[in-house]
Amino acid sequence: MAIYARSTTTHLFLFITLLSLTIPVKPFSSSDPESILSELLTRQSQSQSGVIHLTDHLLPHILSPKTPRSFSLIIFFDAQQLHSKTDLHLPSLKSEFSLVASSFITNNKDNPDHKKLFFCDVEFKESQNTFAQFGVNALPHIRLIPPTAQNLKQDSIQMDAGDFSRLAESMAEFVESKTKLVLGPIHRPPLISTAQLMFIVAAIVTSLPFFAKKVIAGETLLHDWKLWLSGAVFVYFFSVAGTMHNIIRKMPMFMADRNDPSKLIFFYQGSGMQLGAEGLAVGSLYTIVGLMLAVMTHGLVGVRNRTVQRVMMIVALLVSFWAVRKVVVLDNWKTGYGIHAYWPSSW
Amino acid sequence: MAASEGATESNLRHAFGNVLSFFILLLIGVLAFSIRLFSVIKYESVIHEFDPYFNYRVTQFLTKNGIYDFWNWFDDRTWYPLGRVIGGTVYPGLTLTAGTLWWILNSLNIPLSVETVCVFTAPTFSAIAAWATYLLTKEVKGTGAGLTAAALLAMVPSYISRSVAGSYDNEAVAIFALIFTFYLYIKTLNTGSLLYATLNAIAYFYMVCSWGGYTFIINLIPMHVLLCIVTGRYSSRLYIAYAPLVVLGTLLASLVPVVGFNAVMTSEHFASFLVFIVIHVVALAYYIKGILSPKMFKVAVTLVLAVGLVVCSAVIAVLIAMVASSPTKGWSGRSLSLLDPTYASKYIPIIASVSEHQPPTWPSYFMDINVLAFLVPAGIIACFLPLSDASSFMVLYIVTSVYFSGVMVRLMLVLAPAACIMSGIALSEAFDVFTRSIKCQLPGVSQNSQIDVGDSTSGSVVTQDEVVKTDKTEDSLKERPSKKNKKKERERERENVEKASIKTPIQKRLLVLPLESSVIALLLLVLLGAFYVVHCVWAAAEAYSAPSIVLTSRSHDGLHVFDDFREAYAWLSHNTEVDDKVASWWDYGYQTTAMANRTVIVDNNTWNNTHIATVGTAMSSPEKAAWEIFQSLDVKYVLVVFGGVVGYPSDDINKFLWMVRIGGGVFPHIKEPDYLRDGQYRIDSQATPTMLNCLMYKLSYYRFVETDGKGFDRVRGTEIGKKHFKLTHFEE
Repeated sequence: MAIYARSTTTHLFLFITLLSLTIPVKPFSSSDPESILSELLTRQSQSQSGVIHLTDHLLPHILSPKTPRSFSLIIFFDAQQLHSKTDLHLPSLKSEFSLVASSFITNNKDNPDHKKLFFCDVEFKESQNTFAQFGVNALPHIRLIPPTAQNLKQDSIQMDAGDFSRLAESMAEFVESKTKLVLGPIHRPPLISTAQLMFIVAAIVTSLPFFAKKVIAGETLLHDWKLWLSGAVFVYFFSVAGTMHNIIRKMPMFMADRNDPSKLIFFYQGSGMQLGAEGLAVGSLYTIVGLMLAVMTHGLVGVRNRTVQRVMMIVALLVSFWAVRKVVVLDNWKTGYGIHAYWPSSW
Repeated sequence: MAASEGATESNLRHAFGNVLSFFILLLIGVLAFSIRLFSVIKYESVIHEFDPYFNYRVTQFLTKNGIYDFWNWFDDRTWYPLGRVIGGTVYPGLTLTAGTLWWILNSLNIPLSVETVCVFTAPTFSAIAAWATYLLTKEVKGTGAGLTAAALLAMVPSYISRSVAGSYDNEAVAIFALIFTFYLYIKTLNTGSLLYATLNAIAYFYMVCSWGGYTFIINLIPMHVLLCIVTGRYSSRLYIAYAPLVVLGTLLASLVPVVGFNAVMTSEHFASFLVFIVIHVVALAYYIKGILSPKMFKVAVTLVLAVGLVVCSAVIAVLIAMVASSPTKGWSGRSLSLLDPTYASKYIPIIASVSEHQPPTWPSYFMDINVLAFLVPAGIIACFLPLSDASSFMVLYIVTSVYFSGVMVRLMLVLAPAACIMSGIALSEAFDVFTRSIKCQLPGVSQNSQIDVGDSTSGSVVTQDEVVKTDKTEDSLKERPSKKNKKKERERERENVEKASIKTPIQKRLLVLPLESSVIALLLLVLLGAFYVVHCVWAAAEAYSAPSIVLTSRSHDGLHVFDDFREAYAWLSHNTEVDDKVASWWDYGYQTTAMANRTVIVDNNTWNNTHIATVGTAMSSPEKAAWEIFQSLDVKYVLVVFGGVVGYPSDDINKFLWMVRIGGGVFPHIKEPDYLRDGQYRIDSQATPTMLNCLMYKLSYYRFVETDGKGFDRVRGTEIGKKHFKLTHFEE
């Protein structure tokens, strides 16, 4: 029954869409505002997240009632083919968008506001006309169509990049400020679902006695000092390599030379910034000297063979000397400091 | 007879060693103090930078009006029109320390000015911190390591950067307090004495008074206790070291007004309470184990575990509920940015804008702890061989602090003592092995004494092992034969000779390395140490001693000194009314109140973001709008710092984008893109009209073109965009 009804409307408005291309968004008094509203509600309830999928045919139909309409539309312009481009963040923005939609629906289920705002999305491949109508030529793009909008391009409001920078929360703020509707809190799905949580808790509770027994007996992995030792040295290596800097600043491991793109730069000159590979290299230089020293003072003394001791010591000393020298040279090159003995000749 | 002779000799040797250590420590103190005097010698005896000026002003108030007035002081000269309750919002440790020093000196009829006392507080406390390091490291690995670590700490650049003469800031005393608290904790852990536990709580109180970094202590010590429990190292000494600290420490901490009920309400402290419960459960389990037969104990374990788990989970549930109910999950922004490093840069521009909150790159480590970065891994390994309660604490300390320093460059300061201690241990052990190898294999020394020396050291390792196993560390402190190691290799050699003559020979394998490679290794280590000294002196003299209130620049025709800051403040002080309000960016707030004695709108204590954003908005608005904002705040004078003529790069134009960001964070009509041309910040002819019309641009470049006829900005390296304009609502 429902399917039938939908297909007839689609057929009906195929014709009108063609018209609308020539006269952009002329209000169509022909369609009944009430029926369109109810259709929107049906479509909303059919969609899982509450985001209505629009097409070139559907949009003019929905916008056909006379202005001011009783509802606003907020449209997310999507393009499947660009989902793979990571710097656009389309998939994550889309999921945030549907999060705002579902939160709005759940928060406003029982008051009339839920008929005043509808969340929609448009796919580039199937609805290129809509993209053209709104003049959308760059993504991500989110647009709010207020009830009074006559001309789609001029009367609708585009969401700034700043408004979706903080994801769902800032989108909600934007919508609230423009529509004067209250969205309420965003309901993020918990990181792990309730069932999973119950399972984890149950697993922990059941394993606790066994674990406690092991702890009391003193035979867990935690009692192995070698594990702690390697952990400690690793954290040290991780930190002095400036890895936190690389993570926070999202530094690449290396980059192409600006003057000669075929060459790669692994070391960046200037102390405020470092590349990933550079950090790891210097971090291991920092660490290896200490390890060599420890091997000499704690390991080698126990070796019986004098020649082995001698050879290993010479190797260790050479490596350490080389590492320290390398770091000093690199540091002077990178920072431009010339460290020198202090002789107060004159000032 | 022979035994008593040996005992006398050993006593004599100990006495000699102690006297020597004392003098070495004295010299270390002198070194720590004097290496920090470069700023006074090269410039003059002034307070440095921004925050110290506030501390100085508070100290002046304290010495003039007494402690009660200080405690109740409401300062109306700052954050106009709000004012600020100073007594309740500062960490009073530094001020009280300097005030007490001044008072003592004056009672002794040594008439020093408050400023002099303030300037030299930091170097004095660095010397004391070096001694505290000695004590701490001695508890962990013996006297030799202690002396080495103290010598390293005396000149570690990271610490020098915060404690040169004139750098009168909280960190100066806080690092001492931090090390001393750790020392007392380890001391209690080794002795199990309640006296030390109480002292520990008091030292913790001093730390809470001094610096917000006390949360590091109150999280690190519980972590260590938990680690000890989990790895089966629980003992009554651990209980004595921890339980009094939490109870007394928390009570004392809440006496400090700025902390107050935070000591029990914020989740930075929750870890300590959680561990407090855990340690009681564990203590109970051990107690029951002691009074029951093994069979009964098995039954009891099940019972205790069940009850304990229920209690723990109930408490955890309550804690989680409490934490979840607060908006930032109970964590203050600064702490959050440690756990989730991307937090601050995303949400809080006022934290992200400060350069010392940035994550460091590898050269920062080389600059701040220099060759210690190479030695630390060896120290970590030495701490594991053998692992005692004390050395596990040191490992935990280095690991946590090195992680935190990776997040925020400012926390390098907390890493520095740990790195010094670890390197001290590493160096001391390395010197020990190499000198022993050389000594034993020198031609002319008999085979017999070689074997003895080998024994003595391997014997000492065995003793330490036993100590750890039998949990009788307090006895070992007297017995521990590790007093043999001294800082200098010569002393070590001499001692080894002495030691060789008193040890009873046990046939064991010689633990030595080949002679010639040991000599080379020793030489290289000495070379490394020498490089460290050169680097530290260079850092102290060149990099960290500039007071930034007096600037110098060297050019071909000699040295130029710019004293513009103090001239400007003096101008304000002489030419404006006492009650006039001066608006400037928050960096200059403290200096304006301290040096010009005028009321400011915002200052370096960034407690009110909205207020700062108001000033930021005014600076980024066109003249008329800015005039209205300033008029509403009763502002009569606006202070801007401009370095385009002399080439001073940290002026207001370079800080301007942060004003826009912070202003825009509260007042949305200020938008950052309006000030950027294609994402680039520029002030030349390509600049946006918003930029060229904002108050900051106009005040900075007003009549600038008259200086050289072209308006060439030496900092930005371009000619300015708008050269001839008049001020409509302001006058110069």
